[in-house]
Amino acid sequence: MISVRNLSKDFLVSGGKVAALRNLDVEVSEGEFFVIVGASGSGKTTLLRCVAGLEVPSGGEIRIADQVVSSDNPPTWIPSQQRRFGMVFQSYAVWPHLTVYDNVALPLREGAQRVPRNQVEARVREALCLVQMEKLAERSATLLSGGQQQRVALARAIAVSSKLLLMDEPLSNLDARLREEVRGKIRELAKHLGSTVLYVTHDQVEAMAMSDKIALMQLGELLQVGAPMELYHHPNRAEVAEFFGSVNWLRGRMIQACLAETPIGRLEVQKPAAPGEEILLGFRPECISIVEDRSATKTNVLQATLGSSTFLGDQFVYSVVVQDRLLVGKNRTLPRCNKGEVCLRVDPADVMVFPADNKRGMAVLEPEHSRALGTAG
Amino acid sequence: MQEVLRLPRALSTRVKMPSPFLLVALLPMGLILILVAVLFWVSLQRGVIGTAAVTYTWENYAVIFGDPFVYRVSVNTAIFALSTVFFALLIGLPIAWMTERTTIPGKVAIYSIMTLGLLIPGIYTAMGWTFIAHPRIGFLNQWLVDLFGLESAPINIATPVGMGFVQGLSLSALAFILTAQVFRAMNPSLEEAATVHGMGFLGTLWRITLPLALPGILAAIIYMVTIGIATFDIPAIIGLGNRIYMLSTFVYLKAHPPDSGLPEYGITASMGTFMISVAVLLTCWYGRVLRQGHRFEVVTGKGYRPTLIELGGWGIVGWGFILFYALISKVLPLLLLAYAAFTPYLAPPSWKMMGQLSLVNYYNIDWELIMRGLKNTVLLVVVVPVVVMVFSFCISWVVVRSRSQWRYILDFGAFLPHALPEVIMAVGALLLGLFVVGNFLPLYGSVWLIAMVYVIARLAFATRAINSSLLQIHRELEEAAYAAGLSTVRTSWRILFPLLRPTLLSVWIWTTLLVYRELTVAVFLASHQSITLPAIIWSYWFGGGRNEAAAVTLLMTVAVTPLILVFWWFGRRSVLPSQ
Ligand SMILES: Nc1ncnc2c1ncn2[C@@H]1O[C@H](COP(=O)(O)OP(=O)(O)OP(=O)(O)O)[C@@H](O)[C@H]1O
Ligand SMILES: [Mg+2]
Repeated sequence: MISVRNLSKDFLVSGGKVAALRNLDVEVSEGEFFVIVGASGSGKTTLLRCVAGLEVPSGGEIRIADQVVSSDNPPTWIPSQQRRFGMVFQSYAVWPHLTVYDNVALPLREGAQRVPRNQVEARVREALCLVQMEKLAERSATLLSGGQQQRVALARAIAVSSKLLLMDEPLSNLDARLREEVRGKIRELAKHLGSTVLYVTHDQVEAMAMSDKIALMQLGELLQVGAPMELYHHPNRAEVAEFFGSVNWLRGRMIQACLAETPIGRLEVQKPAAPGEEILLGFRPECISIVEDRSATKTNVLQATLGSSTFLGDQFVYSVVVQDRLLVGKNRTLPRCNKGEVCLRVDPADVMVFPADNKRGMAVLEPEHSRALGTAG
Repeated sequence: MQEVLRLPRALSTRVKMPSPFLLVALLPMGLILILVAVLFWVSLQRGVIGTAAVTYTWENYAVIFGDPFVYRVSVNTAIFALSTVFFALLIGLPIAWMTERTTIPGKVAIYSIMTLGLLIPGIYTAMGWTFIAHPRIGFLNQWLVDLFGLESAPINIATPVGMGFVQGLSLSALAFILTAQVFRAMNPSLEEAATVHGMGFLGTLWRITLPLALPGILAAIIYMVTIGIATFDIPAIIGLGNRIYMLSTFVYLKAHPPDSGLPEYGITASMGTFMISVAVLLTCWYGRVLRQGHRFEVVTGKGYRPTLIELGGWGIVGWGFILFYALISKVLPLLLLAYAAFTPYLAPPSWKMMGQLSLVNYYNIDWELIMRGLKNTVLLVVVVPVVVMVFSFCISWVVVRSRSQWRYILDFGAFLPHALPEVIMAVGALLLGLFVVGNFLPLYGSVWLIAMVYVIARLAFATRAINSSLLQIHRELEEAAYAAGLSTVRTSWRILFPLLRPTLLSVWIWTTLLVYRELTVAVFLASHQSITLPAIIWSYWFGGGRNEAAAVTLLMTVAVTPLILVFWWFGRRSVLPSQ
């Protein structure tokens, strides 16, 4: 449905250029709920705006439904108005001088996708019904709550085109509880209508919960694209692992194909690597399991001293020290303690291994960082 | 998705078509450049301008800089400009301080009075004060002479300082508006800190308040000096008849010599170029001082509520001051104008004169001329504001919204008329009409030439006002419309115009009023056919028909009163967009 090739975008600012997008490739298939996540300033909004035609790319090609809408060779430009998509903005952009009804109806009456006069009413009612706003149709847009404005924006987008929807952090202005409720509804609605959705957020939980596919961006580049499970369990680099949840990082060296020497002792890993290679190891807090019966397990057992712990209701977050290294664990119960000593284990399948020469990968291992991890849990 | 089409090859060499707004916005910029260029071009010529019998030299500049008369005129102008600022601040500053920093009652009323002050043209004040304090015909002088048996008139407003006083009366409303902004933006906790640490009221005022306000006040001073240097109307009304010349009236004299002298356009143009340089320098300085002033503006949060100084009984004194100002700057001049409009000749008001009141002036004035002036004025008042709004909306949109490289140029270009005195634009347009397009376009002497200059002159203000409103409209409101398929023009019509309506309305009324009363450009450019009402007043006045001039002025004032009331009513609710 959307195909982005080699897309780049530079902004001219006083004192030079900012490369917001660097040679990006994205493929979104029909009917897919595609989420772009990334830290602030990573270029998510810029990518979405390029697809929407609100920003002119510096290079590369964008196709929507197999039609080139923007390209540098041959130079092609289809303005926003003719690209046929619905869009929900971060600020909702509900026109304050119009009623709810007119907000949805204006594009149908006067836009490039206008419909015959006698069908406008039905289309508007239908869209408002889908977001349960039909009762407030005559209300002025200034008198709506944040959640209601969000729904009007969604209705307007659906009414214009339910085939392709672009959304830029549509939930970031809602409070936490409402956000959780609405994100389920949006996904349900998109699936009900069979829409292709390109959705931007900076919240990894939102991304996980809504998407069929996630693309993680950093500094204008895509780090990894894949299903949520894939990104969580098989990140292709340290930053990806780090983005989707906290990780206990360790520096190490391979001594056998599947055995690594680390500051907390030897650890078996599943992914083979060349012996002698410097590596970066990581495992998530919830992957640390408590060993009840020490005799039953031999590999990857950690003798640790229990530090602080926090009760979060559904689980405990605790810190342990293994040979001067602080690790963070998560569990439903606290490990049983014998004079402060506990026995833990990490499954070899849960240990993520990345090459240590990856320069950016090393950034996650800065001392402050591992300390911060300990408190963040 | 058949609607998504590849553009035909012929069109696709350009990746993105320039927005229609950019094309419209460039038009007035081109005009401004042409005016300045023409002025400079003519300033280099001696001989029969625009023909083969011309030599290109710097001689015009040598002539004006070597002329002792020009030197005297420059000194006059400097004295005039400085005394203008002095009197304007003497009145405007205390009123601004009282309104923004003390508990004086009736602040809305003060704002209304001062805003009305902005609307009453300087020429009315000038004519009124001529009736009051002119050495020969001023009533006050005659009374004082009679009362004390003096030899000669004790008060003379036909001097640079006297004219500066009248101009200061008329600019004090502006001084008020400018300095009130300064006081409002100032962080009150700085003053409070001084009071808490034991400084008295006057000490705080002198040591803290004024120094903090100083950059803002300095900026206001430079701004008013720029206006003062180029003002034409008051020096023309009071000074021309008494042979006291300023730079602006000097330029007028060279372009429209009395009797049957030949116009010296080369001299006019070189003087114009010189004045542009001075004005541009002053304006750049103004911009710098203004930016420095912003350094002191500590950002205040939402709960910002300045503690006001308790005036108590002094409030009465404050109001006395304001009312006295209103009396001498507005009420008295207008009353005397009304009186002069109904008397057959000029004489101090007395019981005997009351018996002589009649409509005689209205029988004497040339109604055919008035109707022609009315027609032209109405035409200008209807057309110019609309064109100004279209241009300035397009400029603002490009400057605020687009990423076009042109936006910096447009931003500066729209500011330029603000630095170019109206006199100079009028001269530029005069020369353009005479020597450049004269052969193929009968622009000279037509009302459209006047309209053109009016449009350019009003752009700076309108663009600033729309810029700041447009900045407050979230970009996404507009982009949502594009994404939903509305074209650029339709988006403006359906989304931006409704949201900008309060600003557009106040810009429109304000422009209308200024165009209605505009004198300078009209005097330079009006011909027998294209004369406007203010120009008619001027020609009566200059020709000695002071009572007739007063009669026409009264008519004009009465006719515009409804509009002023609308403006006032409207201005109460939305604050006048500041320059
Ligand atoms: N109009 C602009 N002019 C100059 N630089 C810009 C502009 N818009 C974005 N940028 C820069 O491009 C980069 C990417 O910005 P973008 O808005 O796409 O980030 P984002 O991923 O959406 O961030 P956020 O999560 O904070 O919304 C940033 O470094 C930003 O400063
Ligand atoms: Mg963003």
